[in-house]
Amino acid sequence: MHSKASLTLALGIMAVSAYAIVAAWAWPLKAALFPLAIAGPLFCLAAAEALWGIFGAAPAGEVRDFRLSTELPREEARRRTLVALAWILGFFAAIVLLGFPYAVPLLVFLYVKLQGRESWPLSIVLTLAVWAVFYGLFDRLLHLPFAAGWLFAFLR
Amino acid sequence: MRIRLALIAALAALPLAAAAQSPYAGKTVTIVVGYKAGGGYDRTARLLARHLPKHIPGNPTIIVQNMPGANSVIAANHVYSVAKPDGLTVGTFNRNLPLAQLLKVGGVKFDMTKFAWIGSAASESTILAIRSDLPYRTLEDLKKADKTVIIGATGPGANTYDFPLLLKELLGLNLKIVSGYSSSSDIMLAIERKEVDGRAGSFSSIRSFIDRKLVHAVVRARASEPGIEQLPVDENLAPNARAKAVMALRSAPEVVGRPYVMTPGTPQAQVAMMRQAFVKAINDAELQAEAKKAKMNMEFVPGDEALKVMQEVLGQPQDVIDEFRKYVKFGE
Amino acid sequence: MIDAFYEGLLLVLQWKTLAFMSLGIVLGFWVGLLPGLGGATTLALMLPFIYTMQPVQAFAFLLGMHAVVATTGDITSVLFGVPGEGTSAATILDGHAMAKKGEAGRALGAALTSSLVGAIVGAFALALAVPVVRPVVLTFGSPELFMLAIVGLAFIASLSSQGGRGMLRGFLAGGLGLLCATVGQDPQAGVARFTFDALYLWQGLELVPVLVGIFAIPEIVGLVVRRTSIAGAVPAGKLNQGAWEGVKDTFRHFWLTIRCSLIGTFIGIMPGMGGAIAQWMAYGHATQSARNAEERKGFGAGDVRGVLGPGAANNSKEGGALIPTVAFGVPGSSAMAILLGGFFLLGLVPGPDMLTTHLSVTFSMVWTIVLANIITVLVCFAFLNKLAKLTAVRGALLIPVILVLVFIGSYTATNHYGDILVMLLFGGIGYLMVLGGWPRAPFVLGLVLGKIAENYLYISIARYEAAWLTRPVVLVLMALTLGVVLYPLYQSRRAGVKKAAHA
Repeated sequence: MHSKASLTLALGIMAVSAYAIVAAWAWPLKAALFPLAIAGPLFCLAAAEALWGIFGAAPAGEVRDFRLSTELPREEARRRTLVALAWILGFFAAIVLLGFPYAVPLLVFLYVKLQGRESWPLSIVLTLAVWAVFYGLFDRLLHLPFAAGWLFAFLR
Repeated sequence: MRIRLALIAALAALPLAAAAQSPYAGKTVTIVVGYKAGGGYDRTARLLARHLPKHIPGNPTIIVQNMPGANSVIAANHVYSVAKPDGLTVGTFNRNLPLAQLLKVGGVKFDMTKFAWIGSAASESTILAIRSDLPYRTLEDLKKADKTVIIGATGPGANTYDFPLLLKELLGLNLKIVSGYSSSSDIMLAIERKEVDGRAGSFSSIRSFIDRKLVHAVVRARASEPGIEQLPVDENLAPNARAKAVMALRSAPEVVGRPYVMTPGTPQAQVAMMRQAFVKAINDAELQAEAKKAKMNMEFVPGDEALKVMQEVLGQPQDVIDEFRKYVKFGE
Repeated sequence: MIDAFYEGLLLVLQWKTLAFMSLGIVLGFWVGLLPGLGGATTLALMLPFIYTMQPVQAFAFLLGMHAVVATTGDITSVLFGVPGEGTSAATILDGHAMAKKGEAGRALGAALTSSLVGAIVGAFALALAVPVVRPVVLTFGSPELFMLAIVGLAFIASLSSQGGRGMLRGFLAGGLGLLCATVGQDPQAGVARFTFDALYLWQGLELVPVLVGIFAIPEIVGLVVRRTSIAGAVPAGKLNQGAWEGVKDTFRHFWLTIRCSLIGTFIGIMPGMGGAIAQWMAYGHATQSARNAEERKGFGAGDVRGVLGPGAANNSKEGGALIPTVAFGVPGSSAMAILLGGFFLLGLVPGPDMLTTHLSVTFSMVWTIVLANIITVLVCFAFLNKLAKLTAVRGALLIPVILVLVFIGSYTATNHYGDILVMLLFGGIGYLMVLGGWPRAPFVLGLVLGKIAENYLYISIARYEAAWLTRPVVLVLMALTLGVVLYPLYQSRRAGVKKAAHA
């Protein structure tokens, strides 16, 4: 996982910097200078990292940031990671389809009940509490613009 | 006697009845601002939001929402097509949006002439100010300058950049524009540092520095504000008709310095109510006192006049547009 | 000047003023704590309320609120790994790592105490700088600001891991950050760079969604996967390596805290440098204080010095940012720009006057910052240990709340769904970086310094052509850059020599 992620990043950066170089070529000099000066070396460095990753030995990887837990077996960890991603993306989908004010309590309730397997009272209380703070603060007090969900626009 | 009492009671009840039947009774009006909180457009909107309700029949609540992004094109698009034409949404955004429409900037989904115009809450004129310790005190001095005068700017599309650019290209002033400062206040600091010799910008933002005698104004654009009426106007000094048209095109939106519109299709009656309310609110003594304290100049420009300016800008002949496009991009 | 100093204090110590300051503190506490409530935005919302106040009271309110935001922003960073404010992101790296080791109380204590030290240093820098501030600020022109950005970028070398591979990845992260900084309309030719025809990207990437995504999303995923509380495997009893320990840490590393406060103050004084930079440079400096390779590995895994540095810097920069605002009328940060509006409302004209005729008002601001921070820190300490217990709460209860905060916190950047998309995108990138062992700090440095470096370079060349390279301060900063870049090499050489000596 360690080296696959590194390789993905390296290849990704190669793609991004290649695109940047191609796009910047068409611009006037002043606008293009910096992006080119960065993207050029970046492409080379990324290529170096990618090659090192493919052909080199496993890195004596000094990790500067935290390492995700390695105590779980690979398959289980992968499954749980996908679940996490599903919840995050699902929340985003709910926000787009239903609008923030409905998505928030929905997420809280569903997550606490389904994923957390907590009891009904606790789930409901937490949902209400979060929704109250969210609604009172961001909607009533600050009047943030929350677009209506696509679903409602569609149904109208 | 009883008939008289009844008449008086009926008369007294009329305003109540009118208010109760007003489409705004018990409703919330949203002012959508195309910029983040704290900037000039936002502060103007919030000032109005506090003083408008009592001048609108029905005394609605007014809230302000910020929709910054893309130099307020996003907010304008929203008010144009997403908001409902029920009179409950008011939009205020970048005064240069008609130029964006004119230059056919991608992403523009509105037509400035089709908005239901309320008017403008202020004119915002651009001036060029030069550091006081330099020997250039008037435009004539600048014209005769043998050394290049260095003007600091933020970037193309902002009046800090466009105004001096046109002065340089069309009037032939010996200016060099150094662009890239993070904000107009940073340019001010650069002036104090003697890194640049002057800057252009809205009069309201430079005023305190003029009062402090750090800089003084040399030339202004078409819109006039109290304090700069005497300055020469750039377009009046243009060498030919096309140069004049280009300068006029840049300056025209400034007359509609703080535009306020409603969604196309809003019922005429409600637009009229809003217009009335704006006039009354802006002339309200309390609002004027607050505005003075905050160094904001509030002066109502009626919607019809604003619409005329839009039509003037968008009706320019192609050769003027092409010439304009050479110098001015849409930005701030 | 001394009498103005006392006068300022007396002005603040009046009932009404203290009352307003307390109100501001309460507001600022929540604003800093909650992602989604931005310090600058809330200041703007508060402006209308100060119309009826006296200048000193109004500033007690505004500054009381603002001074506290930087302090409490660290709390959410430490506890949940979500930056409560854009300026508290650096505290996440080590602060949240400590929370996961069960040392949340200690991290919070360290963050708060260093914030207090930073605030005091910053405030007194403002006071002491009064006679010299104008010449100092005027010496730092565009060439010097460009070199400062380069010094900041040089820290990328320190923030990368040891060894060739580590450096390579650090530079890759930094380069990616620099490239991301170029998105948006450029100020030289007005070209819309890398906007993919999206209106949202015209003005560039918003910092807060990127930070929230790159730091908070990996934490959330990790938390979901682990299925434990934040403090994880640590037995509940151990959680009481409490706040007091954090306070002691601040004094154990006192000179580091002071140095980082000075860095923060200095960056705050430079207008245009932006608030996010100070904390990262302080963090970079803190990593340099590691004495050998073993210690340096500890940074990012829960070294308290990684909390002290940014904690001090993001408070001291506030005092520093007041200096150009008060002395020149040029705001040192976006919040200061709004404060400036407040100045005008109250009839005060920032400029030389504030340092002469209205000196006591200026000093009252200094005292407000100091007092507001002291009060906040004392109040927070009362329930710090209870706050730390949040890290023992079951993950399933916290995760939805954190998720909501993360989404709202990003959304309020520009109230556009694009904010959330950016947050998710960089969340993905952050997750990959964490998996692959890539450092994220250089990315943030590149992102926040990119625009400044580019713009000031162009201004320097346009204005001075080649002459700017030989200005004295520029030369000093070049030497400093070299020093910062070579320091890690020097350190590893020394460690190698020691190893050889021991072998």
